[in-house]
Amino acid sequence: MIIAQNISKHFGKIEALKNISFEIGKGEIVGFLGKNGAGKTTLMRILTSYLPPASGKVLIAGQDVERNPLAIRRKIGYLPENPPLYLNMTVREYLKFAARLKDIPARETRARIDKVLDDCRLLYVQNRPIAQLSKGYKQRIGIAQAIIHEPEVLILDEPTSGLDPAQIRQVRKLIRDIEHKRTVLLSTHILSEIEQIARRILIINRGELIKDRPLEGLLKDEGAATLEEVFLKLNPPQAGRSDD
Amino acid sequence: MTKTLTIAQKELSAYFKSPTAYIILIATITVFNVFFYMIIDQNREATLRDVFAVMEFMFVFLVPLLTMRIFAEEKATGTMEFLMTTPTSNTSIVLGKYLGSFLFFNLLLGMTVVYYFVIEYFGQPDRWPVVTGFLGLWLEGGLFVAVGILTSSWTRSQVVAAIMSYAILFLVYFSASFIPYVPESFAPVVRHISTLTHAANFGVGLVTLADVVYYLSGIALCLVLTRISVENRLWR
Repeated sequence: MIIAQNISKHFGKIEALKNISFEIGKGEIVGFLGKNGAGKTTLMRILTSYLPPASGKVLIAGQDVERNPLAIRRKIGYLPENPPLYLNMTVREYLKFAARLKDIPARETRARIDKVLDDCRLLYVQNRPIAQLSKGYKQRIGIAQAIIHEPEVLILDEPTSGLDPAQIRQVRKLIRDIEHKRTVLLSTHILSEIEQIARRILIINRGELIKDRPLEGLLKDEGAATLEEVFLKLNPPQAGRSDD
Repeated sequence: MTKTLTIAQKELSAYFKSPTAYIILIATITVFNVFFYMIIDQNREATLRDVFAVMEFMFVFLVPLLTMRIFAEEKATGTMEFLMTTPTSNTSIVLGKYLGSFLFFNLLLGMTVVYYFVIEYFGQPDRWPVVTGFLGLWLEGGLFVAVGILTSSWTRSQVVAAIMSYAILFLVYFSASFIPYVPESFAPVVRHISTLTHAANFGVGLVTLADVVYYLSGIALCLVLTRISVENRLWR
């Protein structure tokens, strides 16, 4: 479903991504790990066609992202790291705007909005201006816009940041519910979180893909009980550096 | 096309979701009213020519305030990433945003049509120069809005966007004043760049193809450059 071939990207002299390749099949839920600044967001932006790679190719559902960006974008739901919200709109207005831009037929718009409002537990605040809502709500509005057009591929950059434990559980359930129907790639810092959702783990460090394994295999390989141990082993905290 | 309208509608309604729109509308129309009164009182003529000249000058200051937000805000808050990952073409985004701001400008200009009725009531104005004068201001506003949108697409900072539009609009507006300081062979070019030269014709009832082409090509150039700037990842 998602094929990345030798993706590289640099900003000036900084190499953000070095020759990254992987394939993700339909219905897989893949967790994407890495320290801050490792290149997770850059890679996600390339997969969603927001940034072009310096070299390499991304294929989604068999189509080249650079050649057919508009067709690909219909198939992708994307939640950026900071939920991209228009603060002066109400939740419903925002979702309506998103629905229109995402080519949802006018007669279905209402039903789709109602469905995502319900799925993301937003019914209660649907007519409030987004500016007045807490971080947890904002995050869920971001998720609602990502799934409103029922995309085949969901790319979520830290979907659970800013949520309380109960809300995290809801989001986890939301992602689980769509398993098998959709392909999900998500990044998060909360490792226990990813252990519960993802079946497969990609670990990226300084722009390089250093691990691509099913979760169980990864734990076994590294002789670790939890993902946290694996993560710290592969990304040892360095004294005197503050890149975290 | 529908998406262009969707974005235009969003931009237009964004103006009215903050007090800024109302403040700008009220402040502008108040200043215009004062000048209208003063000019008519001094000239004792049923013509809007001088009123148009003042309005044109005021638009140089005003339009950048209307347009500075358009792209800069989206870049600063990250919603640009949302817009550009929806299946919406960059052309629709640029045109929609242009249309939204231009409609707001139209609202502002539309409120001044009342001046015509005032002079019509008290005198016998020559109607044709009034019509062409409004047409000139309308085209000029279209150009100013396009310049504002272009500079807004260059930066994340609304202040920087406004300052860059001021710089460009001042240069364009006052370029006729530089004529004594440029080599003689450049003089016609500099005169042609100045909006003053073109607006003056509309003010006296002259609609020439050259003037219309000047505005339309200026608008088209700015919109094409905006599209390139939106597409160019360096600016993001």
